[in-house]
Amino acid sequence: MFESFALPFFQRGIVEILLLASVSGLLGVWIVLRGLAFYAHAVGTAAVPGLVLADGLGFSALLGAFGAALVMAAIVALLLRRRSLGSDSATSLVLAGALALGVILASDVFGSQGSVDRLLFGSLLAIGTPELLLAAAAALAAVAATTIFGPRWLAAGFADRRGSSDPLLIGLIALAAVAALAAVGALLATAILVVPAATTRLITNRLPLWQLTTAALAAAEGVVGMTLAYQLNVPPGAAIAVLAGIVFALVAVAGVIHQRRRKLAPLALTMLGLSGFLVVGCASDGGGAGSSPKLTVTATTTQVGDLVREVGGDAVSVNQILTPNSEAHDYEPRPRDIGAVADSKIVFTSGLGLDAWSAKLLKESGSKAEVVDLSSELPVSHPTGAGQRQSDQEQGADDPVAGQGPASGEIDPHWWHDLLNLEAATTVVETALILADPAAKDQISANAEAYRAEIRAVDEEIRACLEKVPAQKRLIVTDHDAVIYFTERYGVTSVGAVFPATSTQGQASAGEVAALEKLIREKQVEAIFPESSLNRALAERIASDTGASSEYTLYGDTLGAASSAEGTVLGAEAANAKAIVAGITGGKQRCLIET
Amino acid sequence: MINWLLEPLREPIVARSLIELALLGLISGTLGCWIVLAGRAYSAESLAHSMLPGLVGAALLGLPLVLGGAIGLAVGASLIALVGRIKVLGSEVAVSVVITSLVGAGVLLGLAPTTPAGLSGILFGDLLAVGAGDIALAGGFAVIVLAVLFVLHEGLLVAGFDRLNATALGRSPAPLDLALALLLAGATLVAVQALGNLLVVAILVGPAASARLLSARIGPMMLAAVGVAWAASLVGLYASYHAELAAGAAVTCALVVAFLAALLARSLREAVASDSRRRGRGAQSRGLRLRSRRA
Repeated sequence: MFESFALPFFQRGIVEILLLASVSGLLGVWIVLRGLAFYAHAVGTAAVPGLVLADGLGFSALLGAFGAALVMAAIVALLLRRRSLGSDSATSLVLAGALALGVILASDVFGSQGSVDRLLFGSLLAIGTPELLLAAAAALAAVAATTIFGPRWLAAGFADRRGSSDPLLIGLIALAAVAALAAVGALLATAILVVPAATTRLITNRLPLWQLTTAALAAAEGVVGMTLAYQLNVPPGAAIAVLAGIVFALVAVAGVIHQRRRKLAPLALTMLGLSGFLVVGCASDGGGAGSSPKLTVTATTTQVGDLVREVGGDAVSVNQILTPNSEAHDYEPRPRDIGAVADSKIVFTSGLGLDAWSAKLLKESGSKAEVVDLSSELPVSHPTGAGQRQSDQEQGADDPVAGQGPASGEIDPHWWHDLLNLEAATTVVETALILADPAAKDQISANAEAYRAEIRAVDEEIRACLEKVPAQKRLIVTDHDAVIYFTERYGVTSVGAVFPATSTQGQASAGEVAALEKLIREKQVEAIFPESSLNRALAERIASDTGASSEYTLYGDTLGAASSAEGTVLGAEAANAKAIVAGITGGKQRCLIET
Repeated sequence: MINWLLEPLREPIVARSLIELALLGLISGTLGCWIVLAGRAYSAESLAHSMLPGLVGAALLGLPLVLGGAIGLAVGASLIALVGRIKVLGSEVAVSVVITSLVGAGVLLGLAPTTPAGLSGILFGDLLAVGAGDIALAGGFAVIVLAVLFVLHEGLLVAGFDRLNATALGRSPAPLDLALALLLAGATLVAVQALGNLLVVAILVGPAASARLLSARIGPMMLAAVGVAWAASLVGLYASYHAELAAGAAVTCALVVAFLAALLARSLREAVASDSRRRGRGAQSRGLRLRSRRA
């Protein structure tokens, strides 16, 4: 079970968690003593506007998070000088303000395109040098501050539980929270910073001992959690959080038993040891990935995975990173994903910024794979917001919806919705696979030829299907404007989109929605199309206000479930065509498309 | 000007959001004051995350998602109340331990291949998507909150204002804690579906925290909190309509600004008060000196 320790990405994760464990030991006790647990959680969560700014202006996410945390720390330190103010109320309002700022930046300033860049932000499996340096800096600062100011904090510490803390401590916790955020994500940072110190508090309250046991416990939970995560192929952050929770529960129960009946203490200790064995035992029966003689490649998204499987067929083993039920924004990679990337000869990416996170994945996995960007040779490309600009021209410049499109100048990354692009990408995949495995040339070429023929056939059928509706009646409103390539290819006019940005941080404004409702009534748009992977409540509300229908769903960002007809690109495009025709005609026209 | 004010209200989407916010303002003005006084803002912020394992579990078992979310919230709130009874840790650490574990468990459960996409997003609503059902639910819940708080008022008053000493004296207000935690869980379930997590925190904590700066007595504090909630909702929605800002975020910002304004007002009042006290003391000591000279 120790083979994982030989992998470079795993080693970096272990070093990171050990550095954070020392921070946890030194600062965690102060967080528990001073009642700063909420602040420790909030200062990491408040990094969101920093991440949005970093994404929009193009600087390092770590720097953005750090800057936002420092601002939050300064404001909270300032507010805590007022002793009558509950520290928890002040913290929650500063946090709410920061998050609201993040939403406004994402939806009204940058029109962020998905939060996919945050994919690898907060994973112990993708620790690079900057994250290690930050954790080391946090550890050094914690050591220095504890040595110099520890006695002073101690003198004030036990008397005062209601916040009102040293600004230095507030700043140090901010640094530690960002370091933990980069390792396990915002929601689980407390698993490292708070839970170990809370657990050991149940056993001791003598300060140097409490700090030492906390650091040791955090280190043990971190290393065991990482190992378990590798064996069971789960995200390490979640594994560490659950492990820390279980250990806390066991120690608390043991404490209660100990209090009630001293004789039962040995029993509790035995329970603790037993559960430890259980955990390790569970860990060791997980198997490693079997190696196959086939060519192994990695695909980043569901669409790319489908395309590569179609072309590669039996000759290629495809490792696909995003699955239909993993949303890009809250997805955390699993150990086997990284291992598979390291083993791959080729990594196929969707490109145009949609899967920019894959570059980091590749780097941290130590992979020497060749990267093939499928967006490199597209015959058709549209700038972002193209569909809406078209409606601007018809509407004139005073159209209130005009300003809501995302910043133009960039190419919309959802290129596969134009089947000409899909055909071109098929050839790119074919060439790359044959180059990597010349022995399978005949099989791969035959697969690619068959797939291209199928694409052309489906393209014809979709066109025929949509031509059942007169061109001037083909008006739709979408959720996120993710299907420009589809609407442009088949002469469908996208009148507007419900959400201003494709990012999950995005929110609509009352003014935009009111204008959109007016536009829908004016143009007599028959149907609004929610997207399969998103909350449909707002689309349904607008539909019921305007009398349009919202019962048909489009596949914009993701495909359907793997086993369903919509689980392939062609199946999803056929489903989109059927949905649009049925939606516009109120279900009177339907088509059958064979895929 | 009149048109500028009336135009947004004619839009059904704005009118519905405003009614929903007004009802939730009632909840936040009353329940929120107890949350702020009892130092439960962390619970208000994080409790919604405890829905995650419940949601995943319900999806895997084929149960209604709302039921799963409600079970998750009830489990989270009860565990927080339980762990919070460990005196050496306190309620904030209890929230941290419980929520962190539940989020981790939710992530692990969610790895099951049959988990549907976008699960956490399904229950988290959007202010503008509020419908008649949401409004009815918020209205019904507001009645429950007002009734329960009316019945528990005396007990909460004793435990709420002298909480630290009550705990230190060994008089643990555990049943009241649990009642408050469950009301908070209910408010989270109702409000998260209508407003999304961000706005829920702001509206539950913001008005009460502002009102606390303006009044120390519970009655005026609750009235002020309801007033702040309603005013900020109105201002936020107008900003969202006229300046085209994200709706939930605009109301949240208005609530935060209201808090900052209350803070400023309080600071000014204190500055004036301490100034006049100093002057008063000066006059008094001068008077003493006069008297002593006479003596």
